[in-house]
Amino acid sequence: MNVHELPMIMFTTLAQMSVGAFVVLGIIQIVAARRFGSDAIDKVTDPALYAIGPAMVLGLVASMFHMNDPMHTLNVLRNVDSSWLTREILLGTGFAGLGFVFAFLQWKKLGSVRQRQALALVTAVVGLVLVGSMSMIYYSLVTVPAWHTLATPAQFFTTTFLLGALAVGAALMGAVMWRIRVASRDADGVVGAEQTVVDTTSRTVLTSSLKGIGVAAIVLLGIEFIIIALHLSELSGAGDVAGQSAAVFSGGWFVARLVLVFLGAGLLSVFLFRYASSASTARPLAILVSSSFALVLVGELIGRSLFYDSMFRIGM
Amino acid sequence: METKDVEPTVTGGVSRRSVLKWSAAVGGGAALVGAGVYSSAALPGIGSENAVGLVPADEDAIVWSSCNVNCGSRCPLRMVVKDGQIARVLADDTGDDSIGTQQIRACVRGRSIRHRIYNPDRLKTPMRRRAGTKRGAGQWDEITWDEAYDEIATTITRLIKDHGNESIYLNYGTGTLGGTITRSWPPSDTPVARLMNCVGGYLNHYGDYSSAQIAGAAEYHYGGWIGSNSFDDAKNSQLQVMFGNNPLETRMSGGGETFVTQQTKKLHNVRTIVIDPRYSETALGIGDQWIAPRPGTDAALVAAIAHVMISEDLQDQEFLDTYCQGFDEDHMPEGIPAGNSYRSYVLGTGPDGIEKTPEWAASLTGVPASTLVQLGREIGRARPVHITQGWGPQRHANGENQARAIFTLAAMTGSVGVPGGGTGEREGSYSLPMANPFVMENPVETAISVFSWTDAIEHGAEMTALRDGVRGKDKLDTGIKMVWQYAGNALTNQHGDINRTVALLEDDSLCEMIVVIDNQMTVSARYADILLPDVSNAEQLDVVHQGSAGNMGYAIVADKAIEPLYDCKTIYEMMSEIAVRLGVEKEFTEGKTQEDWVRQVVDESREAIPDLPEFDDLRELGVWKVEGESYIGLTDFRADPVANPLATESGKIDIFSKPLWELSQTWELPEGDRITALPEQLSTWEGPEEARTNTDFPLQVIGHHFKQRTHSTYGNVDWMKEAHPQVVWINTIDAEARGVANDDLVEVFNDRGRLRLPARVTARIMPGVLSVPQGAWFKPDTDGVDMGGSVNTLTSWHASPIAKGNAQHTTLAQLKKA
Amino acid sequence: MDKLGFSFDQTLCNGCKACSVACKDKHDLPVGVTWRRVAEYTGGTWQQDGDTVVPNVFSYFTSMSCNHCEDPICVKVCPTTAMHVGEDGIVSIDQDKCVGCRYCEWACPYSAPQFDPSSGHMTKCDMCADYRAEGEDPACVAACPSRALGWGPIDELRAEHGTLAGVEPLPDPAITRPRLVIVPHRDAQPTGQGTGAIINPEEL
Repeated sequence: MNVHELPMIMFTTLAQMSVGAFVVLGIIQIVAARRFGSDAIDKVTDPALYAIGPAMVLGLVASMFHMNDPMHTLNVLRNVDSSWLTREILLGTGFAGLGFVFAFLQWKKLGSVRQRQALALVTAVVGLVLVGSMSMIYYSLVTVPAWHTLATPAQFFTTTFLLGALAVGAALMGAVMWRIRVASRDADGVVGAEQTVVDTTSRTVLTSSLKGIGVAAIVLLGIEFIIIALHLSELSGAGDVAGQSAAVFSGGWFVARLVLVFLGAGLLSVFLFRYASSASTARPLAILVSSSFALVLVGELIGRSLFYDSMFRIGM
Repeated sequence: METKDVEPTVTGGVSRRSVLKWSAAVGGGAALVGAGVYSSAALPGIGSENAVGLVPADEDAIVWSSCNVNCGSRCPLRMVVKDGQIARVLADDTGDDSIGTQQIRACVRGRSIRHRIYNPDRLKTPMRRRAGTKRGAGQWDEITWDEAYDEIATTITRLIKDHGNESIYLNYGTGTLGGTITRSWPPSDTPVARLMNCVGGYLNHYGDYSSAQIAGAAEYHYGGWIGSNSFDDAKNSQLQVMFGNNPLETRMSGGGETFVTQQTKKLHNVRTIVIDPRYSETALGIGDQWIAPRPGTDAALVAAIAHVMISEDLQDQEFLDTYCQGFDEDHMPEGIPAGNSYRSYVLGTGPDGIEKTPEWAASLTGVPASTLVQLGREIGRARPVHITQGWGPQRHANGENQARAIFTLAAMTGSVGVPGGGTGEREGSYSLPMANPFVMENPVETAISVFSWTDAIEHGAEMTALRDGVRGKDKLDTGIKMVWQYAGNALTNQHGDINRTVALLEDDSLCEMIVVIDNQMTVSARYADILLPDVSNAEQLDVVHQGSAGNMGYAIVADKAIEPLYDCKTIYEMMSEIAVRLGVEKEFTEGKTQEDWVRQVVDESREAIPDLPEFDDLRELGVWKVEGESYIGLTDFRADPVANPLATESGKIDIFSKPLWELSQTWELPEGDRITALPEQLSTWEGPEEARTNTDFPLQVIGHHFKQRTHSTYGNVDWMKEAHPQVVWINTIDAEARGVANDDLVEVFNDRGRLRLPARVTARIMPGVLSVPQGAWFKPDTDGVDMGGSVNTLTSWHASPIAKGNAQHTTLAQLKKA
Repeated sequence: MDKLGFSFDQTLCNGCKACSVACKDKHDLPVGVTWRRVAEYTGGTWQQDGDTVVPNVFSYFTSMSCNHCEDPICVKVCPTTAMHVGEDGIVSIDQDKCVGCRYCEWACPYSAPQFDPSSGHMTKCDMCADYRAEGEDPACVAACPSRALGWGPIDELRAEHGTLAGVEPLPDPAITRPRLVIVPHRDAQPTGQGTGAIINPEEL
């Protein structure tokens, strides 16, 4: 397993998760606001929104470790003309910056809802373009067969939404559990606290969000497995170098990755959907969605590590 | 007296400051180019004709030096000296790209010499093995030069008194070669020999680790070493056949035989057949056909070729009748029973009754009979044929016969002594008749073979002429009590069976003193009692004789580029100081300095070479070249064999050697060993036949000469280890059977030792054969496994029958994944 | 201005690496940073028939540094513009800009950009700009014992030696359009053939 590229593994995975989470939160906002009004939704989703920032910053900080001369870091902005790496860094900082502004406005409830929604939309678009440019860094290397394939952007976007969705789920429930815990200190027990913290609207928003996340995870899991299969079959017929890359996707780590993602995004998501549909308490839902997230995160990190391992270049 | 364990210390060749300055220079040049100084009118163009006069902007000096190692080539180097340090090494920039006047471009090794000169392994100060520790334990006490000189002089005096001069031995060493004063080979020419000769002499050795068997064989076959035609002369040939000859790896100089063979092939495209168990660089570079016989079967291969030639009447019978003894029954010496001619041997009418058909040879050599028939016809029909052999075929338990078989093939083609032909020995070359006034005669005549010094330490007083090849005396009177090892690594690393050799050396009751003079902590240096730190040749002045370079002659003045590093001293100063203590200073120095001697060499050489510049001019020039004649051995003999007889018993080419016939009846050989008067295929210990039946060790091991090193020299240079890492070559079929993939770590082992190194899985070596490139530095781990990968961890002390030479390519072993 | 390139006569290369080490000596490169490298490409099989064996083997060497490509992928991907092309077509690195992200290392199919851990920057062949400014040959060209290497205006090299650059184990020249001409070894395999393999990958 690749550890040399740990900064890039961390950065790409966290950045994609952040973009995905932002987009998923936006979707929840749009879908749910019509039914419950944005204030009710904000109450549920805002804590998750504030979690994205640190994740993105962590990713950007990790990416700094990829630069062997950090003193020259600002130079990476020079080649926007042709370097996808420059574009990625510009878009990455752009996404983070817009995200912070948006979060700040949302926190302080500055500007109109419509203005904030417009800013959110711009941020989401920048985020998605960021994921696209990130994949182009690898896709544009015609000298690396394992990367110069549509599987690269497909994988990156799948990771974005899968991790984003589960991260949002985990963040939503994490925030709820934390508030319950705080409330239970001065109220009489957890059950009472939950009733205080989670009103009926919030409950509905949460359970429908989790159901949606569960369904999305299962669908994305299917897409991811199809991409992996297509990628492998593409590599296995594409010469020696591609064959070396294909061999990377065969060992124990690869199996571990598949199993983890399958357990997290498949099995646990089914349970998540079922429990969210029943009148369950917050605790099992929180455990389910955060376990699902943790499994998929580890699985995707392994997958990203293997992605870097598959870097076999043609030529000498 | 300071006491400490010696550890490698990084010395750093180039100061940080000069690195910075050089970086600035590089940057400045780049800026100039960017600014448009470069224009097509000033284009340097391609090739060397414009590559003259490079003077980087801010260097202090460029000093001519040279790479003096035992590759057969010898390359001038230009040392760029800054702040008293060598900052860069440049190649020869004189001459051109034509054979005979070529620029002598150093090979990869010479180009890395800066990291050999400034190596962490450099010896810095005289040292003595710590009292109470075993030889090789690595525990040393630093001593002063005076202490070292005194102890050595005292020991020499005592040993001569108690055991005689024959108890003191100069071991073979070729770490500094080609100079006049800084010369570790031949042993008789070394400053150590001169010192010993001043006090009554020392025990001689004959032969060398490179060519013991072929040189021994040539004495009986040609009456001495002749040399085959030089490689440039292949232009006059119809066919070139190279038996285990691999100039593109063994003589890599861009002014030496790599250059000569490549350019001759490029210009004249003479068809070339390379016969070698490895698809060598020579086979892939200039070979039109590659034939891979099992190691140790060249004599069988030649016999089959001879069978084809005789059957189809393709041999040059007139040449054989006129110039040779023993080819057929009509040309045999008196008193030899019928059936002992080579023809009888080949046709199966001799004592063994076996016809040496291509089918017979196919089974032994592994080469299909049809290929042998084709080869026999092609060689038989080509006139003249340029036949040479490298020193691989002879470095075998049957090496003398292998060498002689190839000589015999040259005779059968009638190609001896004519342009485009050859003797079947290794290629000769033009050389300047340089004088060497520094050499003195050894009063002792007794000699042992180069390979039997370990026997002479172990049981010297039992060694005899008939059993051990002692020369000059019927038997030795004493074992070796003291060994001088100057610039050599045969004390362990280049000898057979390193583990057994180390065990012998650990017993200091046998050999009482070992003095090693070197500038690196070599494997041999580890086993010294006294270590004397020598300077490199960049730290002193000498005049250097040329290397093998086709028809070109040259001489180099290798000047002192830098001051001696650390507390190192020249060999001349060391020997002079010991001479003082032995009371023979006057005889040793004749009142001269090293420079006086060097000037005298040039002065005296100008008598035979009138065009050779005077010393000061030569010093300015660095290297002086002259286009000479192609070397063609035995032209006089060819012109008139009666007036110019050979020094053989018959005066002719002895395909049947009567002296060998006598040896075969009188010499006491180990069970199974044989001497034959004809160059017969001999089945030996650990040969290809035994490989078939030995289930423990079924693989034949050879050790080809490797680009990383000249023997073991340069074997500790980081750039060289990076460029050419040590690996064991194994055929893809053998590797697959053992589950070994390219670059897997493997163990190669037999009863004598065990190596661990990466495998080079390649179709370039024949199935059933391993090659461990020879010369890697022995590096045992705590379990005794040699992590350095020295082939001699596997080889044997068992000497060849006639020359008592090192049979290091006759070795069986097994390989498994580590 | 004429654009410069290298020529390489594969028929003369014995893989000695004098070019590589002369380059290291000239530029004081540490172990691990090698601007000119030599690949051995080997393939083939043996036929066994009873006691006899017949080889069908090929092998040849390719000495390779930066080819100062017409379409240099390293320049394209470099985020800092440190990797740039000079008027003479020489691709070099501005050490004041390089951030050491190693993206060019991923991209270049000739492994020309090499990472120097001591500076944290990429380094590479500039065809010995200082030597050329002095009217001298690049170190590798002047070093080659076999006279296999040449340099000069690529148009002239192509006129003299042809335009071949697509030989195993080199990549398809269409990718970066190297300013390189190869005189092929008799057994040279066309790029993409995959008949053999680089057998000394540890040395590259």
